[in-house]
Amino acid sequence: MVSHNSLSGRPEASPARFGLPGVGMTRFTGSDDRSIAELLETAAERALDDADVEPDAVDSVHVGNMAAEAFNNTSGLANALTASLGLSRASARRIENTSATGASAVLDAVDTVRAGRAEVALAVGGEKMSVAETSVATEIISRITHSQEYDQGITLPSFAGLAAARYLESYDATRRDLARVAVKNHANARRNPYAQFESDVTVADVLDSPKVATPLRLYDCCPTTDGAAAVVVTAADADVSVTACESAVGVHAVADRADPLRIESAAAAGRAAYDAAGTDPDEIDVACIHDAFTILEWLEMEELGLAERGEAWRLTREGRTEIDGDGDLTVNPGGGLKARGHPLGATGISQLVELVWQLRGDVPSDRAVDSPRYGLAINVAGFGNNSVCTIVEASG
Amino acid sequence: MTRVLECPDCGRRTFYEKRRCLDCGADGLRPRDSGVGIVQAVTAVHVTPDGVSAPNRLGLASFDGDASIIARLEDGLEAGDSVVLETPDGAGSPPRLVPAETDRDRETPTSSGKQ
Ligand SMILES: [Zn+2]
Repeated sequence: MVSHNSLSGRPEASPARFGLPGVGMTRFTGSDDRSIAELLETAAERALDDADVEPDAVDSVHVGNMAAEAFNNTSGLANALTASLGLSRASARRIENTSATGASAVLDAVDTVRAGRAEVALAVGGEKMSVAETSVATEIISRITHSQEYDQGITLPSFAGLAAARYLESYDATRRDLARVAVKNHANARRNPYAQFESDVTVADVLDSPKVATPLRLYDCCPTTDGAAAVVVTAADADVSVTACESAVGVHAVADRADPLRIESAAAAGRAAYDAAGTDPDEIDVACIHDAFTILEWLEMEELGLAERGEAWRLTREGRTEIDGDGDLTVNPGGGLKARGHPLGATGISQLVELVWQLRGDVPSDRAVDSPRYGLAINVAGFGNNSVCTIVEASG
Repeated sequence: MTRVLECPDCGRRTFYEKRRCLDCGADGLRPRDSGVGIVQAVTAVHVTPDGVSAPNRLGLASFDGDASIIARLEDGLEAGDSVVLETPDGAGSPPRLVPAETDRDRETPTSSGKQ
């Protein structure tokens, strides 16, 4: 075995590829009766079944979970999982990286395979948030901000409200255009049996929903969710492979950033991922964007070069990011965080589940992107202090 | 905390406590007066953590030295207004953004809690 990790002569080197032979997830929901441990077990078993991998073939387990101590009064999820599923030969650990926990678990799995420490790795992430009152969940999530931000009563939607206000002021986008992001993602989720939201919303519904952080309203924001998702990563190629999984940190305090409309960690992770995969934004057919708030779909598309700066809203207005839109790029065909749901530790993995299904052609025709070859996912921590960008490619 | 921290090497300023400069990594950031800033964006937050009354009206304001802060806004302030940071009396109270033009040098009649 030779290292694929060449640092020079990048354009000529073919990217290291890692197979994704199996994926699985629970149906995301506002309240699931199962425990966090059972959710993780269910998603993991589905991914192992999908990959046709026996438990004793798994070399390493990477459990993504942000806050089981706070939400579920429990720890040690990785060890409980290996014992329950008979993953008796595996090494195991838990990964935490706030909202980017899921993709960070995948990154850890990919790097473990890359390092030759595993032939078969299992990344599984989940969160059970429904046990907390909304105010308690808001408190838990608000604690990931800088302490001086927390002292101002700042919540994650507060940052999104400021960014949305600034975006609508800076460009010709309207409040209605922003609502169309939610309308699109709800329409996609309605066709996704694994998504939390089952119904369409209209622009009027969004604009009439309760204010959360002006100009953003309830339907601009992702819900709290119970759910888990899993992916098997192998040294051997598969129908769909990972060609890049790259992370970058960003400035912690949001106001310390040079521009309130920038999510620089997403741009940095994206650049590294395009470079590692030997691809560029023009080639991406389908993208799972971390739309915890509608405005983030635009900001991250712009950071990733999937839209020109200040222009992402036009793609939304023209319907070009819809599944059957005539654009070159479909965004959030599974419903995104907005409508599939956002169980913190599961989200980044559920993005890859959706991409694998799309690239394998495993989705019903009314939700299928037209013959995608390249998929991209961006999973963002906090309001952008860390991002993980993953690129997948269909073989053949 | 109406003060801002300034890098001794490159001059970059920040309102957020940290060990080293954001831009050049130098340590020994020094407190300075933040001066007058401009409100860049405003949001009214209607879903707030326990103990924070809603709506919590917040402004993102930029000051000299590339320093910006998100802080509570005095009523009536909008994007484009000139502001200064004011630290209310009382331990632990976070600073808030108030109009720059207003005379803030007066003795506040509610400062009896100081002793
Ligand atoms: Zn400096």
